[in-house]
Amino acid sequence: MTLTSTSDEELMAAVRADDLDQLVPLFERYHGPLFNYLTRLTNDRDLSEDLTQTVFERILKYRSSYQPTQPFKAWVYQMARNVHADHWQRQQKLRVADTDVEDVERTGALRGGAFSQMRVNNSHDDLHEALNLLPVPQREILVLNRFQGFGYEEIGKLLGCTAEAARVKAHRALQALRKIYFAN
Amino acid sequence: MKPELSACHELEALLPAYVEHSLPAAEAERVAAHLLGCPGCQLQVIQLRALTNDLDAALPEVPRTALRANFMAMLEEQKQLLKPEAAVAKPVAAPAQPEAKVVSMWPTAGFNTWMRVAASIVLIATGVLLGRNLHWGPQGGAEVAVANPDANQQTHTQLARALTPANGQVVSASDRIQLVNNSTNETEPGDATVQVLLNTLNFDPNPNVRLATCEALYRLRADPRVREGLVHALSVQTDPNVQITLIDMVVSMQVRRAVPQLEKLAKRPDALPVVRAQAEAGIGKLI
Repeated sequence: MTLTSTSDEELMAAVRADDLDQLVPLFERYHGPLFNYLTRLTNDRDLSEDLTQTVFERILKYRSSYQPTQPFKAWVYQMARNVHADHWQRQQKLRVADTDVEDVERTGALRGGAFSQMRVNNSHDDLHEALNLLPVPQREILVLNRFQGFGYEEIGKLLGCTAEAARVKAHRALQALRKIYFAN
Repeated sequence: MKPELSACHELEALLPAYVEHSLPAAEAERVAAHLLGCPGCQLQVIQLRALTNDLDAALPEVPRTALRANFMAMLEEQKQLLKPEAAVAKPVAAPAQPEAKVVSMWPTAGFNTWMRVAASIVLIATGVLLGRNLHWGPQGGAEVAVANPDANQQTHTQLARALTPANGQVVSASDRIQLVNNSTNETEPGDATVQVLLNTLNFDPNPNVRLATCEALYRLRADPRVREGLVHALSVQTDPNVQITLIDMVVSMQVRRAVPQLEKLAKRPDALPVVRAQAEAGIGKLI
């Protein structure tokens, strides 16, 4: 934003017209927030890096489907949501295919262990743990609202509901988080 | 005055909005009035404020620089994909030909299957041929030994050559066993074959070859060098099968000189218990 005043939509329109270099400023603007969003959803940094990369791959792949009239931010977050949902479904399928429940549980636990090790220096451990205990839809709303700077209007568009419904959901999620956070 | 539980429950949904100052003024006043007399709801408000502060203070997760590098690599790849397409967009006929060639080079599924069948047949045939050829070499040597019983000198040098790993040609262990077995068919005591067999007993890496050599040497036991060689072998062999065979041999040949070696073997910590017991028993029979 400091270097150029070119809007996201103009940049993406250029990308759509096969000027792929214009994706670089968009990457600079969005890869951090997208990575953040996906990390809060998945609680897995490595996975979130992969998923963020996938989002930008899909932007290129489906660039012709971008309508310059639609806000780029909404479009790209919709894509990120889909990438996350696809990953989730793949995981579910894998889990169903894997009849050894114990094994899944064990690897899950191991993964959690590795993750907690990685987070040792994070001063907001309790908050993140509380967030991770929320159901994904509630967590997602809070992440969008509190970490991604989404207004209720934008959340409503992304989730396919009214702004008022988004506001009510966000407030419920905040109350749910409060109960977990202050449970002790 | 104690506030009703239903009022608290109703307010719970409003408190987040109250905390973020997004309630209409009338409702905000109602909540404030309730809060004055309700410690439970007051606590909720305090907690919501703290939580909001913590959420605002949470540091964003920062991706590793690898993410940018991967993105740039992916972008370059996509740009490369785009370039030839754009370059050949003007000469229309050009791209069709090389692509057509590529397609025609792909083998169909059926062709693939037949190729696999053909390849396996070729492999089997090669294996059979190789096997036959390898088999013929040493067999030929054995035939020479049988065919020329008089040419003892020639036989034992051939035998030595075949049994010594120093020469370039490697003879398989089973062929070496066959050679060793054949070696004693036509030889007389005092023959140079004994020395060759003793060398094999001492230096052949394969314990089965050494065992066969033991048997061959047993057939040549009339030669005094055999007794000497067996006693020496007792001190150097480490394979339990060879050790037991040697003990049996010196016992049945009544080699009394082997007693000190057997005593050592009976006390060797690295020898198997069964070998040590056999050595003890051998000593009992020899003294």
